[in-house]
Amino acid sequence: MSKGVLFIDSLTVRYDHRVAISKISIKLDLGKFHVIMGPNGGGKTTLIRAIVGLVPYEGKIEIDGLNMKKYLKKHPIGYLAQRGAQFQSFPLTVLQVVEMGRYHFKESKAVRKKHARQYLNEVKMDSLANRSIGELSGGQQQRVLIARALATESKLMIMDEPLTGMDPRSQSKFYEMIERIKERYSLTIIISSHDVGFTTAYAENVFCINKHLVPHDEAAKLLNDPEIKKIYGSKIRLVEHHHLPSEEKEDV
Amino acid sequence: MFDFLSLPFMQRALLGGEMVAVVAGIVSPILLFRKMSFMSVGISHGAFAGIALGILIGISPMWTAIAFAMGLGLLIGFVSKTGKLSEDATIGTFFAFSMALGIFLIDMSKGYHPDVMGYLFGDLLAISSSDVYFAMIILIIAALWYLFRGRAAIYSTFDEDFSRIVGIPVDIDYYVFMAVASLVTVVAVMFVGVILASSIMIAPAAASKMISKRFSNVTLLSISFGMLAVFGGIAFSFYTNIPSGPSVVFFVTAIFVISLGIKWSKNFVKS
Ligand SMILES: Nc1ncnc2c1ncn2[C@@H]1O[C@H](COP(=O)(O)OP(=O)(O)OP(=O)(O)O)[C@@H](O)[C@H]1O
Ligand SMILES: [Mg+2]
Repeated sequence: MSKGVLFIDSLTVRYDHRVAISKISIKLDLGKFHVIMGPNGGGKTTLIRAIVGLVPYEGKIEIDGLNMKKYLKKHPIGYLAQRGAQFQSFPLTVLQVVEMGRYHFKESKAVRKKHARQYLNEVKMDSLANRSIGELSGGQQQRVLIARALATESKLMIMDEPLTGMDPRSQSKFYEMIERIKERYSLTIIISSHDVGFTTAYAENVFCINKHLVPHDEAAKLLNDPEIKKIYGSKIRLVEHHHLPSEEKEDV
Repeated sequence: MFDFLSLPFMQRALLGGEMVAVVAGIVSPILLFRKMSFMSVGISHGAFAGIALGILIGISPMWTAIAFAMGLGLLIGFVSKTGKLSEDATIGTFFAFSMALGIFLIDMSKGYHPDVMGYLFGDLLAISSSDVYFAMIILIIAALWYLFRGRAAIYSTFDEDFSRIVGIPVDIDYYVFMAVASLVTVVAVMFVGVILASSIMIAPAAASKMISKRFSNVTLLSISFGMLAVFGGIAFSFYTNIPSGPSVVFFVTAIFVISLGIKWSKNFVKS
């Protein structure tokens, strides 16, 4: 019934009884590039952390018909956390950080390093392979962490605001790379973003959350705003999704 | 010059002391990078209450010290993990309590009053061969831990969430590490005493951190610094007749200060 999709059904996450996201239901086609949008505090990070199993939740998450928690036990995910503070001096090289993404592979150290180097190359950071991670700028660190996510060779890449701190050139390179690897390895990609321009141009599906899933027509109204179209062109795509039942009462 | 090495009690002191340096060097970088170095202070004082209980009920203080240190180590670990209270507040509360309990228990053991100073400040020159065997067992445990869980520990120290996602059992690893670190602290307490154990658990790693940029080098260096300090400290104590525990700590501290100097001069040259 939920084959071929990431099926999120009535997902609610609370932090100490305060509801962060409420009854989110959506089906995301596997093999597509999805973008989560929404205001600060809208719950993008929370939704992502629920999907990758880092926060407890109520409701159901299934991937290709399989319970997500079971899936996670066997498959790592190409996960990129929202950028927090920069990594300060930690005694790991850039290459060693990317090697973390290979942890679940049974391979020799030499092979591990070879793969790690290859993914560093993918984000054009191979020249800094032997530098300490703490010596890199924020944007450079972000690219290394993207390489680490790719190094997991997961079918599912979930990245929380991967573009923060990247210059526009790196951003478009990022999207080109995402499209390339998505096609090459038939990946499912879910990212969150604040950026309406680039993102919506490349995404195959955009949805918006603000504690609840923002109904499609409201989001569409926003994205079809003539001003926004003028700035970003008309390559904006939205998908249909379930409408919410009438406004529920929130727990306090 | 090294004629002290021919004496059996000196050989024991050196062998035991060097093993303490090695086990401390293995676990302390992880403690340091997790900002948990203060934990060794809490655990060593917990061991003191254990030692006192052993003396009171007449069993080997080593076992009661292990039990208390592990209990306290896992408790500190649990409290800080579940995030209800900060680690330093927990440690601060419990280590004062452990000392009070220790003194109280020793006071209760009427008649024979063991040398409290010996437990507080240690006496490397008085260690027995069973102490050396104990250190050997802990050395094997620490080495096995490093071999099988070392890489995972570095990863989860660096980035816990990502480590979970690639399948590292972060929580189990954490408690296993706390148990190993507690054991290591107990050996350090047996050899250099309650007060000085934290010195050998913190300073060599802190010194290494300042001058090395690779985790494996930090570990190697902190082992080497500890070994150097133990050797220097024991030799110094033999020739000057000052107690061995403080003597080792002087050397550890000297190494720390030298590393600090190296780091400063590097920064100075850069700027
Ligand atoms: N660890 C936490 N403890 C308590 N509340 C939290 C926690 N993390 C997030 N929240 C709350 O949950 C809600 C959703 O936060 P979330 O971080 O998911 O938003 P976001 O859409 O990712 O925002 P941003 O665009 O700023 O990254 C917010 O109201 C926030 O205050
Ligand atoms: Mg966020």
